[in-house]
Amino acid sequence: MTWLAIAGSAVVTYAARAFAFRVALPSGLPRGVTRYLDALPAAIIAALAGPAILVPGGTVMRGPELVAALVVIAVVAWRRNLLAGVLSGVATVALLRLVLAA
Amino acid sequence: MLVTVLVVGIPFGIVARQAGLAPAEIVAMSVFVFAGASQFAMVQLFKDGAVWPVIVATVLLINLRHLLMATALRPYFAHVSEARRLAAAFVLTDEAFAMGIGWFRRGRTELMYYATFAVALYLLWNTATVIGMLAGPAIGEPRRFGVDFAITATFVAIVVLGVRRRSDAIVALAAALLAAALAALGASVVAVVTAGALAPLLVLFFREEGAA
Repeated sequence: MTWLAIAGSAVVTYAARAFAFRVALPSGLPRGVTRYLDALPAAIIAALAGPAILVPGGTVMRGPELVAALVVIAVVAWRRNLLAGVLSGVATVALLRLVLAA
Repeated sequence: MLVTVLVVGIPFGIVARQAGLAPAEIVAMSVFVFAGASQFAMVQLFKDGAVWPVIVATVLLINLRHLLMATALRPYFAHVSEARRLAAAFVLTDEAFAMGIGWFRRGRTELMYYATFAVALYLLWNTATVIGMLAGPAIGEPRRFGVDFAITATFVAIVVLGVRRRSDAIVALAAALLAAALAALGASVVAVVTAGALAPLLVLFFREEGAA
């Protein structure tokens, strides 16, 4: 199961990378297609993050995750630094859980 | 940029290990898939119990953008052998593309620059993965230290770093909200990924803005 997922992911990733090296795509792909493909990765990532932020553990909004996500957005927008954002988000969640549990 | 690979690769190793993946599986992901955002997405989907075709389809969606990158790079590789082009494709990443295309557009033609940089990224990414993977179990009680949130925080950071236009932010927000609404209603991870694939259609309703 896990290995099929890894092997399949390796194959499709390489296919996506190699395809246009082998086959000349029309240099003027329709503008809409280009823009869709450009926006796609971030949208998929955002879709994976959304439930974990707003519906963590299957229950609607318990709080820490949403606050932490906002902290990550602010820190990354300000510092343009991924690690700083992740660390501040993790620290926020840990702190809020501690406070809320007390 | 090389440092960025380390600081993303180490957390990848950690969260993959925390998610219960075996060391061989984690290393195989970095060696054979070699795609940062996709690998984090895979870990999230493994945690969500997604079946393998869903994981593969999600990874394909995330990586379709390479079609555009390879199309832009292709002319500069026109004179090299098929084997070299296919090798260049294997190490094609956002970072390698950015460095490579900048180089070629300044009128340089040497492919060694792209190759060296891309391969260095590959080696660093794999080294970082192993470091994180070995460090992972040392962090006890992931929930208490918020480590279970690291993967979500990474997603948020990746999205924020990728926002170049107002429409990018709107698409990401729409994808996140739609996916969360579907998840709240008990929809499966397939619906969540579909929400992500549909949201970018919104860009077609925006007038084009220049990248900031």
